[in-house]
Amino acid sequence: MKPMLSTDLNAPDATVEKAKIEVKNLNFYYGQSKALKDINLSLPERSVTAFIGPSGCGKSTLLRVLNRIYELYPKQSAEGQVLLDGKNILDRSQDLNLLRTKIGMVFQKPTPFPMSIYENIAFGVRLYEKISKAEMDNRVESALKRAALWSEVKDKLNASGQSLSGGQQQRLCIARTVAVKPEVILLDEPASALDPLSTAKIEELIDELQADYTIVIVTHNMQQAARVSRQTAFMYLGELVEFDRTEKIFTSPREKRTQDYITGRFG
Amino acid sequence: MSTAQSLHRSRKRKNAVMMALCIIAAGIGLAWLALILGALLYKGLSGVNLAVFTEMTPPPGDAGGLLNAIYGSIIMTIIGIVVGTPIGVLAGTYMAEYGRFSRLTTVVRFINDILLSAPSIIVGLFVYELMVRPMGHFSAIAGAVALSILVIPVVVRTTEDMLNLVPNALREAGTAIGAPRWVVIRSVAYRAALSGIVTGILLAIARISGETAPLLFTALNNQFWSSNLNAPMASLPATIFQFALSPYEEWQQLAWTGALIITLTVLGLSIFARSLTGRREDR
Repeated sequence: MKPMLSTDLNAPDATVEKAKIEVKNLNFYYGQSKALKDINLSLPERSVTAFIGPSGCGKSTLLRVLNRIYELYPKQSAEGQVLLDGKNILDRSQDLNLLRTKIGMVFQKPTPFPMSIYENIAFGVRLYEKISKAEMDNRVESALKRAALWSEVKDKLNASGQSLSGGQQQRLCIARTVAVKPEVILLDEPASALDPLSTAKIEELIDELQADYTIVIVTHNMQQAARVSRQTAFMYLGELVEFDRTEKIFTSPREKRTQDYITGRFG
Repeated sequence: MSTAQSLHRSRKRKNAVMMALCIIAAGIGLAWLALILGALLYKGLSGVNLAVFTEMTPPPGDAGGLLNAIYGSIIMTIIGIVVGTPIGVLAGTYMAEYGRFSRLTTVVRFINDILLSAPSIIVGLFVYELMVRPMGHFSAIAGAVALSILVIPVVVRTTEDMLNLVPNALREAGTAIGAPRWVVIRSVAYRAALSGIVTGILLAIARISGETAPLLFTALNNQFWSSNLNAPMASLPATIFQFALSPYEEWQQLAWTGALIITLTVLGLSIFARSLTGRREDR
């Protein structure tokens, strides 16, 4: 018998596919208090991974480490390794702005910039590319199409981005993120402020986007995690309790804490 | 009668008493304002004619206008704003954006608040020692500097407050798309806070256009037309001060008219500033 082979066959999809992001021995601190404890996980390329867990379990914190946005605030620090295509992004030499063009992020509340719909998308593109007006028009159009928003806004591209409905604003934010051609998209509870119809649209969108992007979604909504993700990580009190294929997590979790959470016994 | 009913009645009585007190207090406040405006309009309006805006301040006993004083006020206000606004906006930006968590910001905010409520005559004395004494004479530029010192704390305060109102989520969104910090401030935060910052500048204009004390120590006054920044210059507040205290009727009339002009200008600016912030809240 060859134990190596059998291990590979039994491993979840997550380890067979190429890892886009690998988190190794990650600890995170808010001042003195430790918010993430020795996290290890590997996110496969072009696939949706969900982080679930009760409030305060560290799932958003983990997401915010992946593009180092936590560095906007003092007294927050991470130690360990986060490898993007094998390169440690927690390294001090990492250029943060470049990192964030590779790893886009969409937030819980829609955050359109105080400018027109067109400018909301062109703004990010213009930061790193010099392209002609015609190219920019194309870029804006394809980003809006990608986010399934084009048909609703094509006649009012000069209207303020803040004049759109909540669901439209969130899709505008996704379009804006897609327009700068990232490799990874982080979604921090992207549908929690939206009505069911808009939520369904966002979920549909996530499903389509995973063909081209590595997607990580933090969600409070377990049904949503089950619907959109291929892998699910269950976190509790700053620890990664269990990480596996989504159907495995939701049908036969290994850990009792996972079982208790997904069946609604706590959280 | 049940306890609930009696409680309800006594609450209603207390409510009526307190409400009456509030209305009386508001009425007293408004009455003074109405009296002042009424007196200004009554005494000032009769003196408003073309000569006020085309002729110089007259010698005692003569007819004339306020042109040199109006010109001086406009010039010194503009220079004061042009000098004070960038300093104020930049300081406010530092405090709200770069130094939000630093000790320096706390200290600067504290000092700024003191400056904000400092008597303007002290600012006048300060500039007198700083500029007028070394230069050996009063000058318009010293007056403008004194006004700019009054502008700075107002603009610092409103800029910081308005930038603090910009949700952090918006900054995070700008950062998350790969924008460097200064681009986020320029293109996102400033844009979101624009109407508020402009309102602060308008309020600063309103404040300094009525200041007298700092000008008495710096620009002094000038009976004649002067556009020389290195010489004493007339201004509306200083002219009003001089003319109102004089025994000459023509001068007193011009003082009333000048006071009316300043008041209406400040009122107009305040209403304009209000309309800017109002539109922001409607959105």
